[in-house]
Amino acid sequence: MKRFRKRLTALWRRRQLDRDLQDELRFHLEMAGEADAGGNARRHFGNATNIEERCRDVWTFARIETLWQDVRYAARTFARNPGFAAVAVIALALGIGADTAMFTIVNGAISWTMGLDQGERVMVVSATDASHAQSFGTSYPDFRDLRARVHSLEGLAAYQFRPVNVSDRSGLPERYYCVRTSANGNRVARQKPLLGRDLTADDESPGAAAVVLLGHHVWQQRYGGDPAIVGQTIRVDEVPTLVVGVMPPGRRFPEDTDLWTPLIPTSAMEKRDSRSLMAYGRLADGVKLTAARTELDTLMRQLASEFPETNRGLTAEVQPIIVVTGAYAMRPLFAVLFGAVGFVLLIACADVANMLLARAAGRAREISIRVAIGAGRVRIIRQLLIESTMLSLTGGLLGWLVAIGGLRWFDAGTGGLVKPPWLNLKLDGAAFAYLAAVSIVTGVLFGLAPALRLAKVDIHGALKDGGYGTVGGRHSLSLANTLVAFEMALCVMLLAGAGLMIRSTANLYSTPIGMNTANVLTMRINLPEARYPREEDLVRFHEALATRLDALPGVEAAAVVSNLPLGGRMSFPYEVEGAAPGGERLPELDAIVAAASYFRVGQVPVRRGRLFTDRETTSRAAVTVVNENFAARTWPGENPIGKRLRVVRNHTAEAWLTVVGVVPDILQDFRHPLDHSPLIYLPHSEAPLRVAYLVARTTVPPGTMAEAFRTEVQRMDEGLPVYEVRTLENRIAENRLTTSLFGAICTVFAAVALVLASIGLYSVTAHSVSQRMQEFGIRLAVGGTSGDILRLVFRQSLRPLVIGLMAGLPLALVVTHLLRAVLTGVSPGDPVTFLAASGVLVLAGVAGCAIPARRAVRVDVVVLRSE
Amino acid sequence: MGERTTPELLPGTLYMLILRTLRGGPLHGYAIAKRVKDSSREDLIIEDGSLYPALNRMLVKGWLKAEWGISENNRKARFYQLTPEGRHQLEQESEDFDRLIRAIQLVMRTA
Repeated sequence: MKRFRKRLTALWRRRQLDRDLQDELRFHLEMAGEADAGGNARRHFGNATNIEERCRDVWTFARIETLWQDVRYAARTFARNPGFAAVAVIALALGIGADTAMFTIVNGAISWTMGLDQGERVMVVSATDASHAQSFGTSYPDFRDLRARVHSLEGLAAYQFRPVNVSDRSGLPERYYCVRTSANGNRVARQKPLLGRDLTADDESPGAAAVVLLGHHVWQQRYGGDPAIVGQTIRVDEVPTLVVGVMPPGRRFPEDTDLWTPLIPTSAMEKRDSRSLMAYGRLADGVKLTAARTELDTLMRQLASEFPETNRGLTAEVQPIIVVTGAYAMRPLFAVLFGAVGFVLLIACADVANMLLARAAGRAREISIRVAIGAGRVRIIRQLLIESTMLSLTGGLLGWLVAIGGLRWFDAGTGGLVKPPWLNLKLDGAAFAYLAAVSIVTGVLFGLAPALRLAKVDIHGALKDGGYGTVGGRHSLSLANTLVAFEMALCVMLLAGAGLMIRSTANLYSTPIGMNTANVLTMRINLPEARYPREEDLVRFHEALATRLDALPGVEAAAVVSNLPLGGRMSFPYEVEGAAPGGERLPELDAIVAAASYFRVGQVPVRRGRLFTDRETTSRAAVTVVNENFAARTWPGENPIGKRLRVVRNHTAEAWLTVVGVVPDILQDFRHPLDHSPLIYLPHSEAPLRVAYLVARTTVPPGTMAEAFRTEVQRMDEGLPVYEVRTLENRIAENRLTTSLFGAICTVFAAVALVLASIGLYSVTAHSVSQRMQEFGIRLAVGGTSGDILRLVFRQSLRPLVIGLMAGLPLALVVTHLLRAVLTGVSPGDPVTFLAASGVLVLAGVAGCAIPARRAVRVDVVVLRSE
Repeated sequence: MGERTTPELLPGTLYMLILRTLRGGPLHGYAIAKRVKDSSREDLIIEDGSLYPALNRMLVKGWLKAEWGISENNRKARFYQLTPEGRHQLEQESEDFDRLIRAIQLVMRTA
């Protein structure tokens, strides 16, 4: 404290202090001079200014004050050369901003543990055949036995996911995602109700009164956060159900749960081969995943020998639940994008380093003078590092804005589409810390090479050398060239990746879906069992609804269907008449259940035979329509019309269905958006749908019909919610989102990288040209042509480009292999893309060299005189 | 015997040497350096480059105070003298130093 005060008073007496120091040192020199006649005193004493400065530092808030001096000095240098500072700051802002935005997304995705406490220890347990090729859910009897025998898991829970309708006096009927869970589900997940009680073992015994736990958002939105809701009765799928508790905010495990009800085994669920449950457990303390795998494998083999007719050949599959979720599947992609944005940042750094190097050449004289009048090397290095960190911090500050803008752009680009829960688009403290760290590290990173080089400057050479003073001449140029080659290598990797993503997106959009998706409105309807107990009720409801919708002005056709294009399909075991019986299990058949009018809605033409009729939709006429792929695979070279097949539903074989027609392939699988798979269409009455899509072709913009549709549904049943009312095109866009969006991001990254890399080449060429002006002048004077000079400049400047390209192409091949998961219809090593990427890079490189090259050719012989 | 090498000043001992030199009364910078050099029979040499920054640091710490006076050859010189705090610091440091040296010697002889 006292020292602080002394320094503070010294601030006022700065002039006095300086005089004291000077006088004192002069006295010392005089005394020493008298004592030592040889005149060595001065040499022995060393650099007086330096000593004086260090003494003065003692009295000042040295670090802060000199720091402030250096900062002001740096600001002045930048102000003298604002163009340089602006380009550097913009390059850094782009690099750091993009990096921070990407960090925010990646960090959000990888740290998302589904809102679970120690989510990485929660395991999904499923049954699988020995080859692990096919994985099944768990049946209730298997679950019960496993739960009783397992030790490596700290409890095993099972659940079933189903949408339900909730109706009561609190508002319009609404559709919610309900999880029927074994009563221990929340305990295994380590989540407890905020209000009321958890589910108990009593709740899941057969015949127990229906109870429900509400999700926090349901409680807030539907019941206004009224705590009195606990203990009241609401209608869940028309069943009066007691609300026993409310979950805390953000707790929606498993999946995006709105409501939790107990899982009460029904007689259908008691079948050991009815594998419709998801099971999860938490690793017991100190147990490793491998131990749990071994134990559950053993247990499943026991079950297989005890119940061979249902369990033969089945073993257990144990996987961390976060591995099974969507965010995890995206991780490799995030790694690639994070890498890509890191490349952009590195290119920006290399750029700025190059600019600083070029500037360093011009500053050798200034630095030499500073060293000569007493500046220490450390001080010089610090000064230069302060300059580069100032650039990077300013870049970081602007980068924050770039990051905000980038995330907004991302948000807007995905506007109206449902975003996954792990997608975090808000900059937070972690992002800021990251940005700050990146800014400082980049500042030091790209400042260090020029700083070290400058601090080593040969004072005598620089001072004697008439003009600019060169820093290592050839040496510095080779460092600059290495940096440019490095930039080029990174850039070609980004370009190749972006090129492949662009081609994927193009492939995706150019592949015909197989039906006309424009002007189609879709919505989902879930008919509760309590009000529509029989399958006939389902068929009748949808028939009546379609008739009503058909009658609306603006509607061309309406139909019920089980799955939309790119929306998956149903699956049944099946057999083809006359086919040799295969293995133990029947093969699975992909099917779409639809009304006849579905083909009218999609304007799907008939390839052979006919479609089924409206009457056949509802009358169980035992007909089916197959797609071309199915016909070609099942009956190659034969006429499929008149052939018969049958499906197995609820463990019983249905009647034989006669193929009446063949339709074109329609894309159903969004994971393999280019593959048409074999598929058949079943008339609605063959497998009536409790949860279904309603699709309608409209003559007006489909979005405008949403309210009319809702009204019609509720005129038929006022307790029935209509949900996900959206256009078909909107849904398809969402399915294609990953590829198109990441394609767009990669393209932006690559474009930024390209610009930065060509700036890098430009600055190096410009610098080397400016240094060789004299030489060019002489060459011209002694009869060289401008062609000679152009060749000279281009040969020298394009060399790092070619080297970078040679190094970058093989690396690009490695990188693009990581992209495989999101590539559609193009191989990771696609030669056309690689060629195009190289071409673009060379073009950008030539453009970068062209301006300085032109200046070189225009050199006036007069420049010689200026020396 | 070749040229005698000057041993490096042990780190941290510079303050102590300056404080000890000033115990006899005020001295100017040049005299401090000379006194240390002479009393160590030229074994210890304080670099001019480190003497003055050290003196200034000690002023800031409050161990010394400085006044301008007239030197033995009638020149204006800056004289340093111990403050009570400096005296205290000297006792402290020499005690610590003695203990350290004894310990080192013990080890060197016995170990």
